[in-house]
Amino acid sequence: MNKQIKTILAMTFISMLAITSAGCGQTQNQSLEQSETQVNQQENSTNQFSPKYEADTEYKLSVVGTYSNFESLESTIDRFYEHYPNGEIEYTYLDDYRNTIGPALAGQEPPDIYVVQPWMYGDEQFASLFDGAEILSDPELEINLDCIRSSVKWEMDDGEILTLPVFATSYGMLVNMDIFETEGLEVPNTFEELKDVCQQLKEAGYESPLMGANTTTTPGIGYAFSYPMFAKTVKDDRSIEEGLNNLEPSAGEAMRPSLERLQDLVDSGCIDVAKCSAEIEDDYNSVILRFFEGDVPMMLCSGDVVSGTKKREGQSEAFSANPFNYDFYVAPSGDEGGYYMDSVSILFCVNKNSVNLDMTNEFIRFLTSEKELGLMAAEKRLITPTTDYSLDEVYASLADFPEARTVNFRDTELLDTAVKQYRAAAYAIVNGEMTVDEAVANYGSIPTE
Amino acid sequence: MKKRYIVIINILIVGLILFIIVKYANDRAVESNQSSIASFEKMTTTTEQIVANYLEDEQHLCDIWANYINGSAEAGTPMTVDEAISYIRKAKISPEISGHLIYIDDGSMAGISTNARSTDPSDYSVNYSHINIFENLEISNVDGAVNLTRAYTNPLNGVQSIAFLNNIKVLDSETEEMRDALIIRVVPVSRLEQKLVFLKGEYENVEISLIDWDGDYMIHGKSLKNSNFFEYFKSYNPMSAQEYNQVVETIRTDIGSMHIHNSKDEDCVIAYTPLSGLDSWFLVAYIPAYELTLNRSIDWLILGIVVAGLLILLHFNLMILLNFNRKLTVAAEAANQANEAKSYFLSTMSHDIRTPMNAIIGMNEMILRDSHDDEILMYSENIRAAGNTLLGIINDILDFSKIEAGKMEIINVDYNCASLLNDIVNMVQRKADEKNLIFKLDVDPNIPRCLHGDEIRIKQVITNILSNAVKYTKEGGVTFSINSTKCEDNPDYVMLHVSVEDTGIGIKKEDLDKLFAAFERIDEKKNRNIEGTGLGMAIAQSFLDMMGSSIQVESEYGRGSVFSFDLKQKVVKWEPLGEFDSAYKSFLKEREQYKVRFVAPDARILVVDDNEINLKVFGNLLRETKIQIDTAESGDACLTLFKRNFYDVIFLDHMMPDKDGIETIKEMKECTDTPNAKTPVICLTANAVSGMREMYINAGFDDYLTKPIDTSRLENMLCTYISSDLIKQVDREPEQKYKILLVDEDIQFLRKLMELLSNKYEVAVSKSTAQATAYLKSHEADLIIMDDKLDNLAEGEPDKIIRDSFKEKSETEITSLIDDFFAKVADKERREHE
Repeated sequence: MNKQIKTILAMTFISMLAITSAGCGQTQNQSLEQSETQVNQQENSTNQFSPKYEADTEYKLSVVGTYSNFESLESTIDRFYEHYPNGEIEYTYLDDYRNTIGPALAGQEPPDIYVVQPWMYGDEQFASLFDGAEILSDPELEINLDCIRSSVKWEMDDGEILTLPVFATSYGMLVNMDIFETEGLEVPNTFEELKDVCQQLKEAGYESPLMGANTTTTPGIGYAFSYPMFAKTVKDDRSIEEGLNNLEPSAGEAMRPSLERLQDLVDSGCIDVAKCSAEIEDDYNSVILRFFEGDVPMMLCSGDVVSGTKKREGQSEAFSANPFNYDFYVAPSGDEGGYYMDSVSILFCVNKNSVNLDMTNEFIRFLTSEKELGLMAAEKRLITPTTDYSLDEVYASLADFPEARTVNFRDTELLDTAVKQYRAAAYAIVNGEMTVDEAVANYGSIPTE
Repeated sequence: MKKRYIVIINILIVGLILFIIVKYANDRAVESNQSSIASFEKMTTTTEQIVANYLEDEQHLCDIWANYINGSAEAGTPMTVDEAISYIRKAKISPEISGHLIYIDDGSMAGISTNARSTDPSDYSVNYSHINIFENLEISNVDGAVNLTRAYTNPLNGVQSIAFLNNIKVLDSETEEMRDALIIRVVPVSRLEQKLVFLKGEYENVEISLIDWDGDYMIHGKSLKNSNFFEYFKSYNPMSAQEYNQVVETIRTDIGSMHIHNSKDEDCVIAYTPLSGLDSWFLVAYIPAYELTLNRSIDWLILGIVVAGLLILLHFNLMILLNFNRKLTVAAEAANQANEAKSYFLSTMSHDIRTPMNAIIGMNEMILRDSHDDEILMYSENIRAAGNTLLGIINDILDFSKIEAGKMEIINVDYNCASLLNDIVNMVQRKADEKNLIFKLDVDPNIPRCLHGDEIRIKQVITNILSNAVKYTKEGGVTFSINSTKCEDNPDYVMLHVSVEDTGIGIKKEDLDKLFAAFERIDEKKNRNIEGTGLGMAIAQSFLDMMGSSIQVESEYGRGSVFSFDLKQKVVKWEPLGEFDSAYKSFLKEREQYKVRFVAPDARILVVDDNEINLKVFGNLLRETKIQIDTAESGDACLTLFKRNFYDVIFLDHMMPDKDGIETIKEMKECTDTPNAKTPVICLTANAVSGMREMYINAGFDDYLTKPIDTSRLENMLCTYISSDLIKQVDREPEQKYKILLVDEDIQFLRKLMELLSNKYEVAVSKSTAQATAYLKSHEADLIIMDDKLDNLAEGEPDKIIRDSFKEKSETEITSLIDDFFAKVADKERREHE
C-alpha cells in the first residue's frame, strides 16, 4: 500500500472519529470539561486542603443562621462538595433566631453548625450556644486557626476557642475613587485632611462631600464617624467602662472628645445633614443606592452596608450606566488618622452533639483557611477575619492598619445599653438636638427611641 | 476518473452514511431527550398531586380540630384554651406534629402548645409575635381552604415547619370571655420531604422545591441557592428585566419546563407547576440536564458495528480499487506501448519515405529547372506528378494521425476566394482531362472575393471530394458548384454552399456508412485499380467537423453521387468574385512564375544531413540564391564547423547515425566556445508526424522544415532568419504587356477602345488596312483587332487576327474576347514551358 493510500486511510479514520465524536453529542464534551474543571479545581484545592476522610463519605449537615440569604456560604459548600460529593450541607435561616436557636439546639433536628455573635456571650439565654460548642482549638481537629487575625480570634478565658469568626465588620465610609481621581485628590487620613478635601470638593460642586444615613443605628452618620474614636477612648481607659455600662451620668464625659469631633464635622460643612435626611431614607438600601448615583465622594456606613453593594451594582441604573471604582476607608476622625473598629460580624459554632460531628469538623477545617474565609467574605463583601485582605480590594485600605489606632471587639466590653446611649447622643449632636455638653451631662438618660 | 477522486468519493459516501447515522442517532437522542423532559414534567405533575393531596390532608386534619373546638362553642359548651389544647394533644397521633393555639384578637400572637419547649419541658407557652409568617394571610378568616404558611422555625423546638391554620373560638378561663384564636397544625418540613423520597429511585439528582408567590422557598432544593428561587434564577441567568418578568410569569401561571443555569453555570432543567387547590404555591423540580440526556436511547453498539462495517467496506473497496488500478495501469502501459509503436512506425515511415522522396523530388526539380529537352521535361513532369501523388498519400496518413491525436488545428486567415478556386480547378481539371471527363464549373459571381477561414483545409476538403469524384467517374463529368448566401443572423458572414456532382459509379445505401470511415474503401474489389488510402473522405469530414460543418451525400448506385456541404465563412471584402472565368484568367495573369526571390551572397549557412544526396538537393535548390552553403554529414562534423565558423542559419537533420540531431543540438546549446551562440538552428527532417514540431521546438530548435523540401517554404524561412542586411531582393523584369493593334476606320471608336484597353495592353491604332500593314512591318503585335469590313491584312499571323463587327459589341464583350484570347495564349505558353 503506497503512502498516499495510507494517508487517505488515516484521514478517513480521523474524519470518522471526528464525525462520530461530534455526533456523540455535547453531553460527553460537557462531562469532560466538567471533569477537567473539577480536576483543576481539585488540584488547586488539594494544595491547601487535604481531606481526612474517604471522598465517598456520606453525610448530611445543617447550618443555621441569621442571614435569610447566605449565598457565600453556599458557594463554599459547593467547593466542599468537590472533596466530598456524596453529602449535603443545608443552610437554614431561623426565624426569630434570638429565640429559636436555643430550642433548635435542644430540639429534634439540632443544627450541626450555628451562628453566634459576640453580644450573645454572657447572656444566659444563649449559654447553651457556647456550652454546646465544640472546642475548635482542639489540636486533634487540625483546624488551622492561625490564619485568623488575632484581633478577631476569640479565645475564652481558658484559652479555648469555641467559635470561628466568619465575617468581620467595621465602621467607616465608602469612597468614590473616580471622583478623587478626577479631582486630583487623595483620600484623607486625618480630620484636618478631611476638612481640606471636603472644602475642595465643595468648590468643585459637591454640595455635601460626605453623606450618610441620618439614623441612630450603627450605620448612621454619628455612629459610623465617631464611635470608633469613642471606643478608642474606652480602650485607652478601661476604668471608665464600668460607669458607662452602669449608665452613670458622670461616665458621660468619656463621650466628649468623640462627640466634639462629630460636632466639628457637622460645623465644618463637610456634611449636609438635611440633604442626607432628604435623600437617604434608610440605613442600608438607600445608602448604597444613593452612593451609586455617583455624585457622593464619601458615604459614611458600616461594613454590613458595604456587604450589600455587590448585589446592588446591578440594581442601580445609575451605577450600571456609569460604573465607578469605590473602596472602604476608615473615617478620618482623629488628628493622627481614623480608628479601625475591627469587629466580628458573625461566628460559627460547631454543635458538639452533632450526629455528624466528624464531617462537621471536617467542614470547619476546610472553611478555616485564608482562601475559603477570604472568598466567602469577598462574595459577601464583608471584611475577612483572616490576615489576608487581598481577596477583596474594597477593603484593601485596612491591610497593615496601625495597631495603635485599631480597636477590636475584645478591647472593650461596653454593654448594648451604653452603646445605645452613645448612638442617641451622636444622633442628637448631628441633628443639633443637643450640644456636646448636654449630651455628656445627660448620659444614661438620653432617649434612645 | 483519477484514483484519488474515487477514494475521496468513497470517503465522502462513507462519511455521508456515518453523518446520516449520527444525525439519525442524534435526532433520536433529541427525541429521547424531549421524551425525558416530558417524563420529567409528568413526574413533576405527579409529585404536585402527591404534595397537594398531602397538604390537603394535613389541612383537613387541622380543620377537624377546628371544627371540633368550634362545634363545642356552637353547642354552647365552648372549650377553654387548656381543654382545646388537651383535645388536640389527644387527637394528634404523630409526636413530631404539634398544635399551637394562639390568640389573635388582641394581636399578641401568643398562646399555648401541645408540646413543651425543647429547652424547658414545663414551658408550653408559644409566641409568634417575632415570626413573620402571617403577613400574607387573612388570619381572621382562614376557613374553607388549605391555609399554610411558608416554612418557618417552630419557636418551641427550632424545627423548620409549615403551619396549617384555622380559626377557632375558645373560652378565656380567666375572663370567661370567648376569644378569637388560631389553631395551628405545625408539621415539620421533613415530613413533607419524606413524601418525595420515592423520586430518588427514578431521578437520582432531582430536587423538589416548593415556593410561594414571591419565590421564597417552603422546601429548598440543595442546588437552588439563595432563599428565594426567583432571585437565585436571576443571579445565574442574566437577562433583561422584561425577560425575567416573563419567566416569573410563566412559572406562576403555566405547567412546563425550561433550561436554566445553576450557580456553577451548568445546564439544568426545571419543571414547574402550581400546587392545585392551594393559592400561590408552586412546585419546582430541578434536575441537572445531563441526567435527562444521559437517558438517551441510542444503541451505540449498533452504531459502532455500522461504523466498523463501513470502515471494512471502505478498506475492501480500496483494495479492489487498487487491484483494478494495477490492471488498468498494465493495460494503459500496453496501450501506450502500442501507441508509441504506432507513432514510431509513422515516424519511421514518414522519415524513410520522405528522405528518398526529397532526393527524387529535389533532383527532379533540378531537371525541370535546368533541362531544355522537351522529352526530358515531359518525363520529369511525370516524375513530379507521381511524386506529388505519393506525397499526397503520405500527407493524408500524417494528417489523419494528427487528427486522431487531436493535434490538428484550424488556422483561419484572410484568403482570396478566386485563388482558392483556381488552385482547386487547376488540380482537378488536369485529372479530369486525363480521364476525358467534362469538368463543369458553376461558380456564383456574387461570392465575396475575400473571406476569412482556413484556406488550406477548405481547399483540401473540396479537392478530396473532387478527386474522389474524378477517381470514381469513368465517363460523363463532374460538376463543381459553389454559391453563397448571406447569413441573416450574422451579417458579417456568408454561408458557402459547395456541391460536387458526378456521373460516377454511385454508392450503395448500405455502403454510405463506410464512406467516412478511415481506411475503408467502398467496393474494394471493384475499385482495386483506383489509387487511394481510404482516408480522403474521412479527413475531409474531420476537417469539416472542426469547422462546424459536415458532408451530405446523395447517391444512386450506378448513376452518380452528389456530395455537398455548407460552410460559414467570415467576409473580409464584400466585393463580388464576378465571373469566375475572367477572374480565373485574371488571376492566372497576376500569378507570378517561380523565380528566385532573393540573393544573399554574403550569407553563410550550414546544412547537416547524413544523406549526401539530400545535401546536394539542398544546395541545388538554393543555388540561385548564391548563399554560401557548408555541409556536414554527421553531428560531430556539424559541431566542429559550429565551433569554427559563423553561420547565419543552421539546418540540422534529426535522424542521423551515431549522434542524432537532438543530441547534437543539445551539445550545441551547451557549447560556449562558438561564434554561433545566437544562430538559429532549424530542424530539417523527414519526420513529419503529428507532434513533431512541438517536440523539436522543445528540444531547442528554432524552427522545423520537412522533407521533401518545399522551395518556397525554404526561401521564406531563410528570409526570416537571415539578417535583412544580407538579403538583396532580385528585381523582377517589368511586366511585358501584350501588344494590340486596333484597325478601324472610325477614329472615335478607336479612341474609345484605346482608352478602354490601354491600361492593360500596349495599344496601337490604325485607321486603315494599309496603315496597319505598314505598322506591322516595323512592329510586332500579339493581337490584331480588325473591323470585318476592312480588307485583309497582308502582314501578321492569321491566328493573331480577330475580325468582327466590334462596333456592335459592348465594351465588356470586347474586353472579354480579348482576355479570353490572351488567356489561351498564356495557357499555351505555360504548357509549353512546363
